[in-house]
Amino acid sequence: MPHVSARTLRMAQSGCPTNLSADKTISSSVTRVIVKTPGKQQDFTVADDTSMRQFKEKLSAHFDCQMDQLVLVFMGRLLRDHDTLRQRGILDGHTIHLVIKSKHGSQPLAHSSQNLPINEPCHWNGSTKGNSSEVHQPAGINQAPVESPLFVEPEMPKVNTQNLEAGSPGHMAQMLDNPSIQQLLSNTDLMRQFISEHPEMQQLMQQNPEVSHILDNSEILWQTLELARNIAIIQEIMQIQQTAQNLEHPQNSQPPLGLETIPGRDNALGQSYADFNDQMTNNLQDTFGGNIFTALLSGQVPEQVQSSPSPPPPSQERRDQLPQLPTTRVIYTSSCGLSAANATPSRVNHTARVSAATISTKGRSHTCAIQQPVGVPALPSIEPTQQHQAEGKDDISLSKSDQRLEDDLQLSDEQTSSQITGSMTQLLMNNPCLAAQMMLFMSMPQLSEQWRQQMPTFLLQTQLSDLLLSLANPKASQAILQIERGLQLLATEAPALLPWVAPYLWGLGWLPDPSCSYPDMTPSSWDVPDTADPKGPEGCHKSGAVLQRLHSLAEEPSQSLQAPEICFSKQMESLQAMGFGNHHANLQALIDTKGDTSAAIRKLKRSQRF
Amino acid sequence: MEPPNLYPVKLYVYDLSKGLARRLSPIMLGKQLEGIWHTSIVVHKDEFFFGSGGISSCPPGGTLLGPPDSVVDVGSTEVTEEIFLEYLSSLGESLFRGEAYNLFEHNCNTFSNEVAQFLTGRKIPSYITDLPSEVLSTPFGQALRPLLDSIQIQPPGGNTVGRPNGQS
Repeated sequence: MPHVSARTLRMAQSGCPTNLSADKTISSSVTRVIVKTPGKQQDFTVADDTSMRQFKEKLSAHFDCQMDQLVLVFMGRLLRDHDTLRQRGILDGHTIHLVIKSKHGSQPLAHSSQNLPINEPCHWNGSTKGNSSEVHQPAGINQAPVESPLFVEPEMPKVNTQNLEAGSPGHMAQMLDNPSIQQLLSNTDLMRQFISEHPEMQQLMQQNPEVSHILDNSEILWQTLELARNIAIIQEIMQIQQTAQNLEHPQNSQPPLGLETIPGRDNALGQSYADFNDQMTNNLQDTFGGNIFTALLSGQVPEQVQSSPSPPPPSQERRDQLPQLPTTRVIYTSSCGLSAANATPSRVNHTARVSAATISTKGRSHTCAIQQPVGVPALPSIEPTQQHQAEGKDDISLSKSDQRLEDDLQLSDEQTSSQITGSMTQLLMNNPCLAAQMMLFMSMPQLSEQWRQQMPTFLLQTQLSDLLLSLANPKASQAILQIERGLQLLATEAPALLPWVAPYLWGLGWLPDPSCSYPDMTPSSWDVPDTADPKGPEGCHKSGAVLQRLHSLAEEPSQSLQAPEICFSKQMESLQAMGFGNHHANLQALIDTKGDTSAAIRKLKRSQRF
Repeated sequence: MEPPNLYPVKLYVYDLSKGLARRLSPIMLGKQLEGIWHTSIVVHKDEFFFGSGGISSCPPGGTLLGPPDSVVDVGSTEVTEEIFLEYLSSLGESLFRGEAYNLFEHNCNTFSNEVAQFLTGRKIPSYITDLPSEVLSTPFGQALRPLLDSIQIQPPGGNTVGRPNGQS
């Protein structure tokens, strides 16, 4: 209803509701109108027959602007210059809205609605509309609840990129500059919580324990988030996507990554990149030539461990699908530092695929590969935030289209039937065959033997629910911690006794190498450091994560006051079990990384390499 | 002169409680509330709403809330998209900055009401704008007021509407 003042009502009720001239005779010929502009309003008294033009003159003087900047709106109707107040039925006390146009015109909305289908669920987090003009991932649904503005908009029609690209960087920049968003993105704990609480993410984590690894790895998370905050990187990614999707021939040299803008790029990135390159060339020089994808596809099948026959992958279809994959980049994959340096051809196939594909996790690839050799595993709907976060900690892996993924998910669901929540140990304990196959797939002959031997005993010793319940009891966790400490002490004082307590050690997360049961194993036991690396940290990280959880359960907040050796005892044990024999180096690394086991491992490895 | 274009203006109404308010309000508040309403204005094929992050826009139904629970026809407007965006920009700089958000006094419905009046001269239905006072008139609402005051609602899925150039 229009703003009608009491006076006007009375006038209307006086018997001349629609006769404006009668109103005029009753009231004065002057009308008091309220001119409302965003932020303020002002009364103006003008004659009834004032034309809009005259009114605008008055207003422009008052608001100190040009006349052509003024737009008058009444009851949703634009007031033209030749209209008069009386003509438009503007009575006393009515409100006229005023918009003062800016001199340079307004900024179009980031998402020009005509370019996007309405009500499409993938617009939920659509902020970087122009970011992914080339993204073709079909029906990828962005469901990450995080308010990060960073999602790549799927299904952006190529045709309409111009507008979007022009508008989006500004908007992106604006959004990223928003300090609250920056803060949100830099809070890794919060982000991690967000991500892990998301139901789809949890589902992913159930099916793929590697994802939890990634989330636990604070460095990856931090780097990813930093990446996400940096718009320059995103722009480079866009360019890379374009180049990657134009791949028609195998590329032995990677497309330019534009690593310049990545702050804090460490040697690991370059190194793993170099390794990656070597792997790729090696692999390509095998029997496969031609399209890089055929190489991968053909190469993948013979690598399968599963004995069950699998239908040959529809390579054509996949090749078609692959170029359409969103390609947020090798950057993410490599930056974890533990990647790609693997000699096994299967790995290489996986890693090689990264050049044109997005990231998923190694575990996922293994899982799917085991269960459905055909399936090209990938991260679902590479919700690009999840992309960012879902770096392969130990490996780069594959991505694929959504449909493929659905199949894989179903298959993996069938095989991993139990509900898996929380830690990866549960997954492995529930699916011993899966775990064994994972070990096999990772082609770690020494350790896989050990795992297979110890798995049944471990399973016998621990029942899942009991374990969980007892872990929940703080006293129990404290007791376990005490045992751990005792064992560590034992290890340092009387290593000869270790074989006697080996089963308990294993149950609590130690993984003594079969070749040497002493804690101070030399790095030489890792004669193939490349292959060993991903296995060790991965396996131990899993138990390390359990231990760390125990640790946090039982430890008082005064941990920081204790000597570093005491408060890092958990991590020290893990490191020792993994083969980092140098007690002091371990301690130093842990201190430097503030108790972050995985970061310490990387530190130690790096120092070992040089 | 050709007749000017008329653009329809709709009000999208969302129940933030997803039905819980209707069921629990008699018990908790002592009076019946049909919902906790969040509204947005849809015009020119875009949805505009106000939250703790300022004025945002998205494709209609494009926030995390999904499709609206009801749609109210506000009327139609001659205001073009360009003028409307200008208007929103200046609103966002003056009256509807993100920090101005207050769940009771200055919320999304305040914004929708303001914009609806600008576009069509009509207000939005009163059951929506009366909600805060309805809640505050109950002892429960009064008791929880400090807590509720600090709540900031920002449905995810929108882009901020603004003038990055910083022009006046």
